[in-house]
Amino acid sequence: MGVLEWFDDNLVSMVDGVAFGLLLFTLAVGLSLVFGMMDVLNLAHGTLYLVGAYTAYSLSDGSLLGLAAALVVGLLVGGLGGVVLAGMTQPLANRGHLDQAVLTLGVSFIVADVLASTYGAEVLPADPPSALRGSVSILGHTYPVYRLVFIGVAAALALVVWALFERSSLGALVRATVADREMVRALGVDTRVVLVAVFAFGAALAALGGVFGAPILGPGPGVDETVLVLSLVVVVVGGLGSVSGALLGALLIGQVQTLGVAVVPEYAPFLLFGTMLVVLAVRPAGLVSLTNRQTA
Amino acid sequence: MIRTTDGRRAAGRSRLVAAAGALALLLTACGGSSLGGDEGGSGGDGGPVKLGLLVPRSGVYNALGDDMKAGFETYLEQHDNMLGGREVEVVVADEGETADSGKAAADKLVKQDKVDAVVGVVSSAVMNAVFDLFESSKVPLIGSNASPTTLTGMSYIWRTSYVNDEPGIALGEYVAEKAGGPVYLIAAGYQAGEDEIVGFQETFEPAGGEAVGDPVYTPFPATKNFQPFLSRVQKSDAKAVFTFYAGGAAVDFVKQYKQFGLAGKVPLYAPGFLTEGGVLQAQGDAALGVFTSMNYSADLDNELNTTFVEDYEAKTGAKPTTYAMATYDAAKILDMAIEKAGDEVTSETINAAIAELGEIESPRGTWRFNDNGTPVQMWYLREVQQTENGLENVRVAELGTLGD
Repeated sequence: MGVLEWFDDNLVSMVDGVAFGLLLFTLAVGLSLVFGMMDVLNLAHGTLYLVGAYTAYSLSDGSLLGLAAALVVGLLVGGLGGVVLAGMTQPLANRGHLDQAVLTLGVSFIVADVLASTYGAEVLPADPPSALRGSVSILGHTYPVYRLVFIGVAAALALVVWALFERSSLGALVRATVADREMVRALGVDTRVVLVAVFAFGAALAALGGVFGAPILGPGPGVDETVLVLSLVVVVVGGLGSVSGALLGALLIGQVQTLGVAVVPEYAPFLLFGTMLVVLAVRPAGLVSLTNRQTA
Repeated sequence: MIRTTDGRRAAGRSRLVAAAGALALLLTACGGSSLGGDEGGSGGDGGPVKLGLLVPRSGVYNALGDDMKAGFETYLEQHDNMLGGREVEVVVADEGETADSGKAAADKLVKQDKVDAVVGVVSSAVMNAVFDLFESSKVPLIGSNASPTTLTGMSYIWRTSYVNDEPGIALGEYVAEKAGGPVYLIAAGYQAGEDEIVGFQETFEPAGGEAVGDPVYTPFPATKNFQPFLSRVQKSDAKAVFTFYAGGAAVDFVKQYKQFGLAGKVPLYAPGFLTEGGVLQAQGDAALGVFTSMNYSADLDNELNTTFVEDYEAKTGAKPTTYAMATYDAAKILDMAIEKAGDEVTSETINAAIAELGEIESPRGTWRFNDNGTPVQMWYLREVQQTENGLENVRVAELGTLGD
């Protein structure tokens, strides 16, 4: 009796945890692949989310068509951003993480400042299309319609990305490059093209996360830092370079940040990094580890 | 030297990129600007009076800085850029987001620009970092927003806004009477949130109010998803909620309050910052029916307010917020003080004149400074309603005078 009651009380938090987790997945998968593959620390990742979110704010006018337009533009801008970032970090490939971190951090500051001066410094309301506004009742609890739709869309996206990376030959190529770049190069594949393509894909996905996630985590100053920290924690917890790792890590962190906070709100500030600590203590390479290299 | 397979071309290219990057950084790193000249010297000899406006021109509080600057400028425009019969030179400095940036800007105004008085300051953290500078330099600071409760016994610090716990104190008795059951307390986990909750409890409990357990403080600014906290409100038997959030967190909280089914079922009470200014536009319909306490409402019915609202709206296209009104009043206080100071206008004479001002006619009504340099003023209860002008905070009751 007690267990059923507990489930009933926390059902909404658990469902919300899945929604949040899937949002984190779209953000983290690109970062995981880029960090795992290229050993490139891209701190401008949160900025890509922010760009997507501002695109959603600018282009969505309440209709589904507006959202679709925001989607296309977001993907293009994100992909382009990924290519530019890949190009900027290529010359620094041999100079270690600090240089890449500083460069990408600088880029993120500049872009964030430009966005803030264009859109103002308030957090902007990015409302979902009017067809998806409002709340619905699940088992006696009220839950926003948009988040339910988001779960559906993001789950489909996660499935597509997972299938692409874990079940296709293209994915095999990418995974091989993560595991042993020299060997893949020896097979005659230009790994630089693979790396730029993965960078662009990850960046486009982050921007896509921004377009879809804007009604949940809206555009404003400081959001890029929040997103970056969350993505980094998911990547570390899930394991570098793997899509299943990013998915597992994201879903775990999603539940921790919703169900965890609902059950023990006194410890809310500590739950995120506490989880990371526990996972690293038990599995230092993350939940799913692919690379055979030591990561600094 | 960077060695790549491309050799020399890469080195040249990366120098170009570095130069472009440095140029871009320089362009975005603009600091403060000034509305007048920059020479040293004050208005002690019948010349112009030099004033500093210390408000955020960047970062999270930028919007409040905009409001405050517009409020100040509205007064100057209404009076032909003269205060107390003297020409005025205003130097604007960017308070930024942190105590360090605020301190640096304040140092510049007082030590480099040698202003006679400073107006503004949004953040309580900045106020705590700079009050010492003003007290030791004997330059008056007329704060028009930030107001830590711990700032007492100052001679050169004045505040035209309020004290941080007053919005909470104003609501306590009213909520205790109207709630009809236990009240859930939840606020942002930083100094301002704690001040408001403590202030609320001060008048709530003696009036017979009952709180649901201990107040809950949400991690600030990290919390964007309030669903776990809102589900606890739903699980409890709370008949009303008292909260404090400002800025982006206020938008998230109010929107999610509606999304998760609490709006319309459990009345929400808060200090006015929850729905003041740009935040209300972002919240949209989700804010309907929210009750807030504030020392000002744009629909107050007095002559001074009518002209103030008209001029402010003509200038900015929006109705004035309490931040704009407080800075407008700061300009008025300087006007009165500079006139009172007579021929010899220096920081010290201005400060002495402010201390003797008595009653001040303001868009908020009539008020005066108390011994602590903060206002004795009326507080109002407002409800967010849909009017012919859109969503507005409409005054519905008076909550009493505070500050005495």
